[in-house]
Amino acid sequence: MSVKSIPLDGHEFIIKRRHALTSGTIKAMLSGPDRFAESEINEVNFRDIPSHVLSKVRMYFTYEVHYTNSSMKIPGFPTAPEIVGGWLMAANFLDCYTR
Amino acid sequence: MLSPVSEEPLLLAELKPGRPHQFDWKSSCETWSVAFSPDGSWFAWSQGHCIVKLIPWPLEEQFIPKGFEAKSRSSKNDTKGRGSPKEKTLDCGQIVWGLAFSPWPSPPSRKLWARHHPQVPDISCLILATGLNDGQIKIWEVQTGLLLLNLSGHQDVVRDLSFTPSGSLILVSASRDKTLRIWDLNKHGKQIQVLSGHLQWVYCCSISPDCSMLCSAAGEKSVFLWSMRSYTLIRKLEGHQSSVVSCDFSPDSALLVTASYDTNVIMWDPYTGERLRFLHHTQLDPPMDDSDVHISSLRSVCFSPEGLYLATVADDRLLRIWALELKTPIAFAPMTNGLCCTFFPHGGVIATGTRDGHVQFWTAPRVLSSLKHLCRKALRSFLTTYQVLALPIPKKMKEFLTYRTF
Repeated sequence: MSVKSIPLDGHEFIIKRRHALTSGTIKAMLSGPDRFAESEINEVNFRDIPSHVLSKVRMYFTYEVHYTNSSMKIPGFPTAPEIVGGWLMAANFLDCYTR
Repeated sequence: MLSPVSEEPLLLAELKPGRPHQFDWKSSCETWSVAFSPDGSWFAWSQGHCIVKLIPWPLEEQFIPKGFEAKSRSSKNDTKGRGSPKEKTLDCGQIVWGLAFSPWPSPPSRKLWARHHPQVPDISCLILATGLNDGQIKIWEVQTGLLLLNLSGHQDVVRDLSFTPSGSLILVSASRDKTLRIWDLNKHGKQIQVLSGHLQWVYCCSISPDCSMLCSAAGEKSVFLWSMRSYTLIRKLEGHQSSVVSCDFSPDSALLVTASYDTNVIMWDPYTGERLRFLHHTQLDPPMDDSDVHISSLRSVCFSPEGLYLATVADDRLLRIWALELKTPIAFAPMTNGLCCTFFPHGGVIATGTRDGHVQFWTAPRVLSSLKHLCRKALRSFLTTYQVLALPIPKKMKEFLTYRTF
């Protein structure tokens, strides 16, 4: 099962549904009345997030799912100071329902 | 924000000094300090009786008790012989109180600097500074165990040492003579500044990871913050009710924690001086009788490498793990006569030292930082609290970035 994520500049990403549900926001978006229960791919629009940011967010989802519920040593997740501001905004938006 | 932590710290290994105790001096068998080198390749331990042991990390398999997975990165075959580093014993001749590794390998900027100053001996190796009972500081080369320098100036016990994380080989020492001193190891250990102001023994010093601030704490209950650029006092932090004996900055320099005999750890914003949290230590079970009462005086506090946990050692015989956003510890481990603690720089292990010269290695909580926290840590590594407050972002985001909320 996959989720198609469409960021600000239209460059589409396919993310595994299981990974995308790391985000409470996406979870909430996908469980609303607009969900296409029958189809394989659901679509989510992120009008305020550029694709280079969403690409990093997708990498984080993969990292989080991979290391949660495993006993492997967790390596660091690489961050780049100059573009981290965009990630923070995206992470804030995507996390906001998890607590 | 955190993956659920259900495990108490488990004891992975315990090291004891190998020799029989030849001396009866009660005061000389303690492990006052433990330290890992910043790259995680060495562990140093002042095992009492004037000896410092340097052990390559990860530990050889014989140290890991049966039943635990060997946590070594390399197989047993790789570590035997073939030029692998062997443990070193440094005989310092007097009680060793403070230990600090230099950052190494040297950052590229330092190599460039050394190339332009050929007249200065290029200490391009991992070094260990040891703070001694009579005020001397001995500087050792770790790979060979050779003594490189002897720094004189302090008039009393050198209790703590700290190198600048940038690799510039500037060393700060904290002493019972109530001063801190700044030494330049690029200039044969020249003493470049004396910081006075404390009224009683200075117990600890710590330099912020961004190299801008120095924290020192002393017996008169005060915590001082100094500028590492001008070596002048920035502010005094008041709040503790007794001697302050340990301090540590968070990995992004945004937070400072201090620990005191008053049973509290205080978490501060070092840029504004605000107290953000009091972590109160109380005995787990109520005492059965008078002999059971152990005051929860703190001995040591340290941050975990990703900046989300603290470990504390207290006189009530407990090692505690705290999550920053909670008011009570998340885990305990029994630990008698604990004096010091430190996290392995890549996470996963906590080392502690005790009054009888032993060191223990414990499992540390396994942490999966949230993307939000990773971003916060990256931003706060170069933004001060005031710079964050000046950003055009929502108030909730500012509160998150300044660690007012988690």
